[in-house]
Amino acid sequence: MTPDELFLAKKAAKKAARRGKTEDKGDLNITSLMDIVSIIVVYLLKSYGSDPVIITPTAGQKIPLSNADAPITDGVPVYVSQRSITFNNKRLVQLDDEGNVDPAALTGHLIGPLYDAMAEEAEKAKLMKEAQGEVWEGRLILVGDQKLKFSTLVNVMYTAGRAEFAEYAFCVIQMGG
Amino acid sequence: MARKRKKAAEEGEVEANLLPVMNVMFLLIPALLLAMEVARFAAVNVTPPKFAASADQKKEKEEKDKPLNLKVFILEDGYRISASNQMQGADAGKSADASKPTIPLAKKGSNDLNDFERYDYAKLGAEAKKYKDLFKHETVVTISAENTIPMQVLINTMDAMRGTDCKLLKAMQGETVPEECLFWQSIVEAGAG
Repeated sequence: MTPDELFLAKKAAKKAARRGKTEDKGDLNITSLMDIVSIIVVYLLKSYGSDPVIITPTAGQKIPLSNADAPITDGVPVYVSQRSITFNNKRLVQLDDEGNVDPAALTGHLIGPLYDAMAEEAEKAKLMKEAQGEVWEGRLILVGDQKLKFSTLVNVMYTAGRAEFAEYAFCVIQMGG
Repeated sequence: MARKRKKAAEEGEVEANLLPVMNVMFLLIPALLLAMEVARFAAVNVTPPKFAASADQKKEKEEKDKPLNLKVFILEDGYRISASNQMQGADAGKSADASKPTIPLAKKGSNDLNDFERYDYAKLGAEAKKYKDLFKHETVVTISAENTIPMQVLINTMDAMRGTDCKLLKAMQGETVPEECLFWQSIVEAGAG
């Protein structure tokens, strides 16, 4: 046996010995992990489940701050940023650089495209509530912007009123909340 | 060289014990979730603007009882308050300039409309308290503004009229409205004043 062959034979023997040896296993205790995961699941379920309406502000929208503590109750949100009005996940109306509604979409205080969408939504909601034997309250949640002009705000509220929405709530971020 | 190789073979490969690392990581997740800043949404309930209240309705209401009819008009240069259809400062035969604010800006000379802190919310709150002391049963205030007034100023005005210590959460759950709450029902009106 040449020295090389001897070296290879020794190496193979060592390898075989190493393979035969039982490996140290690092057992992970699944119980503690499950505890943590359960806590996270409960926490997240509680956070998401407590709000009847999920508010997802549009990009760049800064919701006004307030010390009001009344919770948001059920309703249909309308998002009015400085650039656009969004209803039912559809950007319906563009606002100009000064935050005014595009004059082409405006008739007096009525915002045409927004009225059409709101009236359709109101009709659907009414039918659904009737089928459930309940009365439709017509509640609108106005998610505005800190810099939203009063004139635009009034136009949105007027349009909602014409579409038979009778109750309004301004969505705000609770200060110190 | 040969000695080095031998030493490494003797020591064998040491596997890192991941268990404590995993424990720490899984504890960090809820810790970070709890430390996270969460924006809590709230609602300010408002009554829609009245664009065309008929004259007959108004007359009928006036004859029934004499309400406070508190109105706050937000101007670019301050607040104009009126109660019982009379502008503040114009009582007892005094004359008051209807175009001027009754509560001027806290930051005098500030022309930046988006500077939300330029209004004197403290003084407005104090005026609301005075009216509330005189008309304890009144809870309604009509708020209107110039077209250019930003929404944050409107919200701050509502907060001041409602009272800084007013908490309506329990009232919404059926309890009575706390005494700290002044004028907590807001009517937002277009072009009133």
